[in-house]
Amino acid sequence: MHNVVVVGGGPAGLSAALAAAAAGAPVLLIDSNSRLGGQYWRNSSDNFDDQHEQHFDLETGLLLINAVKARKEIEVWSEAQIWSATNNEGKFTLRIIYQGKEKIVNTANIILCTGAYDRTLPFPGWDIPGVMTPGGVQSLLKGHGVLAGKRVVVAGTGPFLLPVAAGVIKAGGEVVSLLEANKSRRWLTSFNVILENLGKLKEAFYYIKTISEGKARAKFGYAVITAHAGSNGELESVDIAKIDRNFNVKKIKNIKCDVAAIGWGFTADTSLAGSLGCKQVVAKDESVIVWVDNNQQTSISGIFAAGEITGIGGSELSMAEGVIAGIAAAKFVGCKVEVLKAHRKRRAKRQRFANALIKAYPVKLGWQSWLNDQTTVCRCEEVSLGDLKYSVEELGATDSRTAKLFTRCGMGLCQGRICGRSVVDLVANELKLLPTDTDRISAVNRPIITPIPLGVLAQGE
Amino acid sequence: MSQFEIEFTFDGKAIPAIIGQSVGAALLATNQRSLRKTRFNKNKRGIFCGIGVCFDCLVVVDGVTNQRACIIEAKPGMKVQTQDGSNA
Amino acid sequence: MKNPDAIVIGAGVVGACTALALSNAGLKVLVIDRGPVASGTTGAGEGNILVSDKEPSAELTLAIRSRDAWFEIDTDIGGGIELEAKGGVVVSRSTKGISDLKKLASLQKVNGVETIELDASSLQEAEPFISKDISYGVLYPGDAQCQPMLAAAQIIRAVRKRGGSFIQGENVVKINSVSGSIIGLTTDKNTYSTPVVINATGTWAGEVAKLANSFLPILPRRGFILVTSPAPKIINHKVYDADYVANVASGEADLQSSAVVEGTASGTILIGASRERVGFKNDLNIAILRQLARQAISLFPVLSTIQLLRAYRGFRPYAPDHLPVIGEDENISGLWHAAGHEGAGIGLAPATGELITAQITGATPFMDPAPFSPKRFKGGEYVAV
Repeated sequence: MHNVVVVGGGPAGLSAALAAAAAGAPVLLIDSNSRLGGQYWRNSSDNFDDQHEQHFDLETGLLLINAVKARKEIEVWSEAQIWSATNNEGKFTLRIIYQGKEKIVNTANIILCTGAYDRTLPFPGWDIPGVMTPGGVQSLLKGHGVLAGKRVVVAGTGPFLLPVAAGVIKAGGEVVSLLEANKSRRWLTSFNVILENLGKLKEAFYYIKTISEGKARAKFGYAVITAHAGSNGELESVDIAKIDRNFNVKKIKNIKCDVAAIGWGFTADTSLAGSLGCKQVVAKDESVIVWVDNNQQTSISGIFAAGEITGIGGSELSMAEGVIAGIAAAKFVGCKVEVLKAHRKRRAKRQRFANALIKAYPVKLGWQSWLNDQTTVCRCEEVSLGDLKYSVEELGATDSRTAKLFTRCGMGLCQGRICGRSVVDLVANELKLLPTDTDRISAVNRPIITPIPLGVLAQGE
Repeated sequence: MSQFEIEFTFDGKAIPAIIGQSVGAALLATNQRSLRKTRFNKNKRGIFCGIGVCFDCLVVVDGVTNQRACIIEAKPGMKVQTQDGSNA
Repeated sequence: MKNPDAIVIGAGVVGACTALALSNAGLKVLVIDRGPVASGTTGAGEGNILVSDKEPSAELTLAIRSRDAWFEIDTDIGGGIELEAKGGVVVSRSTKGISDLKKLASLQKVNGVETIELDASSLQEAEPFISKDISYGVLYPGDAQCQPMLAAAQIIRAVRKRGGSFIQGENVVKINSVSGSIIGLTTDKNTYSTPVVINATGTWAGEVAKLANSFLPILPRRGFILVTSPAPKIINHKVYDADYVANVASGEADLQSSAVVEGTASGTILIGASRERVGFKNDLNIAILRQLARQAISLFPVLSTIQLLRAYRGFRPYAPDHLPVIGEDENISGLWHAAGHEGAGIGLAPATGELITAQITGATPFMDPAPFSPKRFKGGEYVAV
């Protein structure tokens, strides 16, 4: 019998589960991966070579993971996927696909830590095999011991590009180009935050050392704007462009590569929170996140949230939030425990760093100029920018939701997780309007959270 | 073959894998970058997001379509096939 | 648009088809909707264009003409609506069900519907994956399918190209008449003058009728549709259980559900059909989704491994006698109603447009529209049957 259900086994979820259990509340931790750690501490079994070189702080991750496993009060369900969640006046029902069957969990207390995934932007050729996300390259390496390719371009924006590039080099690959779209001097505006978070600088230098030893040089103010396929239909080269501060193209050069790992920050996965009716808001980086109060409680009493879904901010902020959520949830179910000032101070410090991160790595709308009418926008349903424009100009769509219904954009298997954000921007651009918060939030509405075989659905209660 | 190595087939071809690896990772290790063709334009697709979010890396596993190669763990004797469109 | 010859309220499939028919008859038409095209029930429709599910009746006559009209419209506007003459197969497993189906099919045949009886082996040939324990079915080559959102949007596009107009985002607040004749209407933004207003607002037609101080007994009947991931080609026709016909005709408020399955041009499989009278209740009823899945698997066992990808619900506009409302208002001349098509809105839309247009222009309608007239409600309170 558990009192607190934690969804997600990454930095936030592990921290929340431990904090709640330590406070005296039995916990059920539900995670969709085969191994705990989430994306950030993605690791593989002992069958593989030592993973420590892939992470700056795998130790912290393993400590938390082992602590969770050691606690009898925490029951862990791995490879468990929640396909539906409903809220019946404070009683929450989670329907889970677990070991091939459906399991129903009813609870009055949930901590949502469903994390984030790489944000991608469409561009000509982004659907050619060989173009991936930095998270994908990282997962293949850390989780499966496979280097995605020999000549790798790492590009996009954000500090996550560093560990990915370092990982490729440590695994024996060549980083032929490391491209950061934003200029490094943006960090100067947040110098005090850097001083406050010197540990982060240490981490950055750890990766930079590896990268320079691998003879790769980072270029600032550059981006991959087109990918080209060889005669076999797979990635052969990319066009990299010097871009201005609005991401418009200035000069183009072509380079050969077999993998392009391109990412533009992160998108929070708020599908579960939305299904339960939690209020969502638009963050400064235009991602849709879950609103929480000072105790990590969402707009729904009994549902807490921590980690990237409350705002992209990295693993340390996620852990700080997870601790507060775990304590607050335990208190909610009757444990005698309080959130301490020290917890809040730590979270505040890491929040400041996260805010500085967002300021330093914006994604500017000039990316839309890289596309042409043939560019695929929705990968699942093969909808092009031209199709999207037709739905606005000829069929009269005046918002992204209607454009989606006319074109099937976002109606494929990924249910708009990859294209949703971009479609909102592209449609608004066609209409010469700014996207509204409603547009953005409706794009993440997914009552069926993950596909469920009809046979499993039919057998459930 | 070490105690950690297993084998599955991809379109009939034997593919080695380490226990715990995904089908997609094991295939990529043999340089198999493309896994399927899309259903309208017949374009090649492979692993894109690598973490089970994008549904691009679809393969047929033991007769079941729309399986994500990047998260399905390779098991001995598994029969994996290219997904052509939706195999319609 | 100043002084349109007619204003159609509602840019769903019925409003769109009516506007097209009026446009083609030479009228200057303005279409007004408080939201985007197909933002009502049309956007939740499956796209059914059926002749198979109606007993010989005025509605069947309407359906037969409307089905042919869809193909004419498709040619007229240049396609883009995923229209498919895929045919329907109706099956039954019970002895009574089979005998009822046989009777219905022979009556329909006499009334102009092509029917082909299928024994066990020809059923297997028509639908190789259908459950082996079904031994009888009827094939209706006339049944067809379109994509309802695209259909409404492409038709409105054609209306605009032919001189009509579409205004989105204005809410009608009053329908104006003087001495029992329409003079125009007022929205939250403008007032328009016209001698003809057509109420094509589907599930909201009763509310809109009130804006003219008139009355229409239209209630919502909720339905869910399951959409699968793109799947291998499993189902060749629209296939449904004969119980479907009985459920359509039923007035019960409780849940009615029966199996309806079909593939689509995009590769997904659509699974219906449920009917409940729960007002405009918005929740996702998981129990219904499970029931629909069970029923579909019972027809096609191989669907067991196919994944549900999304589900959506719509509110069918439902008149107490299960017939659409197509005709001039009882008291106000110039006010026309084209609503209440329940689950057959898409199929019946073109013929509805033709009937309305003929009555407005004084041309001879292709059938006697009297059975659909709103005068049959004789004003006053609607009492549930």
